[in-house]
Amino acid sequence: MALSEQQLDALTEIFNIGAGRAASSLSDIVGDEVLLSVPRVEFYRANEINAGVLSLSSARLGSVKQQFRGPFTIAASLLFTEERALEIVQEMLGSQVQREDLVEYEQEAMCEVGNIILNACLSAMADTLHISFESTLPEYASDTPDVVIGRIVADPDNPVMLILHMNMTIEKRRSQGTLIFWLSSASLDQLVQHLDQFLQRV
Amino acid sequence: METTASEVETAWAVIFDAVSFGLVLVDADQRVLRWNGWMTRHTGVASPAAIGQSLTDAFGAALPASFVTAMGNALRYKLPVVLSNVLHRGPLPVYAGLPPANPADRMPHAITLTPLQISPWGWCCLIQITDSSRSISREKVLQRHTDRLSREVMTDSLTRTFSRGFFDQFYHQEFTRARRQGTRLALIMVDVDYFKAYNDEYGHPAGDKVLTTVAQKLQGALMRSTDKLARYGGEEFAVILPDCAQHNAMAIAEHLRQAVLDLKLPHSRSGNSNQITVSLGVSAMLPGDRCDAAQLLISADQALYAAKAHGRNCVQYRDPQALAGPP
Repeated sequence: MALSEQQLDALTEIFNIGAGRAASSLSDIVGDEVLLSVPRVEFYRANEINAGVLSLSSARLGSVKQQFRGPFTIAASLLFTEERALEIVQEMLGSQVQREDLVEYEQEAMCEVGNIILNACLSAMADTLHISFESTLPEYASDTPDVVIGRIVADPDNPVMLILHMNMTIEKRRSQGTLIFWLSSASLDQLVQHLDQFLQRV
Repeated sequence: METTASEVETAWAVIFDAVSFGLVLVDADQRVLRWNGWMTRHTGVASPAAIGQSLTDAFGAALPASFVTAMGNALRYKLPVVLSNVLHRGPLPVYAGLPPANPADRMPHAITLTPLQISPWGWCCLIQITDSSRSISREKVLQRHTDRLSREVMTDSLTRTFSRGFFDQFYHQEFTRARRQGTRLALIMVDVDYFKAYNDEYGHPAGDKVLTTVAQKLQGALMRSTDKLARYGGEEFAVILPDCAQHNAMAIAEHLRQAVLDLKLPHSRSGNSNQITVSLGVSAMLPGDRCDAAQLLISADQALYAAKAHGRNCVQYRDPQALAGPP
């Protein structure tokens, strides 16, 4: 499962291209500059994952999930603490909405934000690696960290986790989200092959 | 029963027009291929007028940049896109009733863009538009109910301070947080002196009034917004002071005692003066302390009894470590 430095660098670059695309879409919505970056990419085995590894500690976690299918299959989730979600939505809406009204909007808004970020990351991967994906619609869920993470690691077909820590800046305020892509061993092999082909081309 | 392909097509066309949400199919150049009955009912544009047009021409209005970007992305990357009615306020000119009383008054709606590959046209995008006005008003009603109920549960009906139920929950939460983050936590228990005698002398309605006045005074005397005053039971109140050292908690308790004294509420049957006074017990936990939540509470209670024994109208301290036993 160990990827070379070069392969990890290529993946980080791909996801930063995706982050740039997502930031541009989000800026259109907010009407102000949104910055997104992916400082690091890490691989884990499912049994190594917990809220600490994901840097997510909160009473509840929200998640937006999409399944991407192409030459290989990736289940992708964006995870965020509910406190951060509320802040992100508040910053995106500016002063149009009272804070107490936000709770009812949070799920729909985060579903859309997650959809933008997941699509951008996977479309950047597809473009860079000369492949294409199709996807399910985003699904939103929220629960305690144990339940959310338990559900993710419980999938025996997908033992490999690719974790991206993502920084988001809206109106000068920074938030963090965590993206998890989980793959089967076969899908990881395919991803690595495509990465190598890409690295040979450049 | 045999059905021909054209009969099936007609049946689907009827269903397409009957569904209760907007359906528009556009080709890769974003020209309208299909426009269902819901769209006609909520835009006033009939299907023959829309088909073959660009989306902007079909709607007869400029579409917002965020929608244009989303459409472009859906068709370019072949990935489905959702547009919530939260981040986009009515991006498309659709109306609950036609003609609209005010063209700016659009029906709140959510949009799903699904790229599809369909044989006669190649890559297309299916635009689904759903009316969110009902879910918005339903959520507002539910939210109002929830807010009212949680306010009622959290608030003591007589004194309007936090309730005992809130105290139990908040105290547990703050204790756990202090332990996890290695911060301090202090508790003050406050009891109105000779309150039974006051009730006997002045009657229960007057007693209730005194409790409310004292509670308001205590609340007003607390400076930090993180400090929470709750009615613990009868004439007893409790104050939770997150991240507060022993000497600060003692100073706050003394300030509370003085604040009640300053009220100068007459109490002819008080055993220690001629006015309403309070006794206060303080206990404070340090980051390294071994005590648990119950022990901190018991020490504050013991400190209150000590204050009563010490002549009332005073503040006493008890160390929770004394209860925790040897390491």
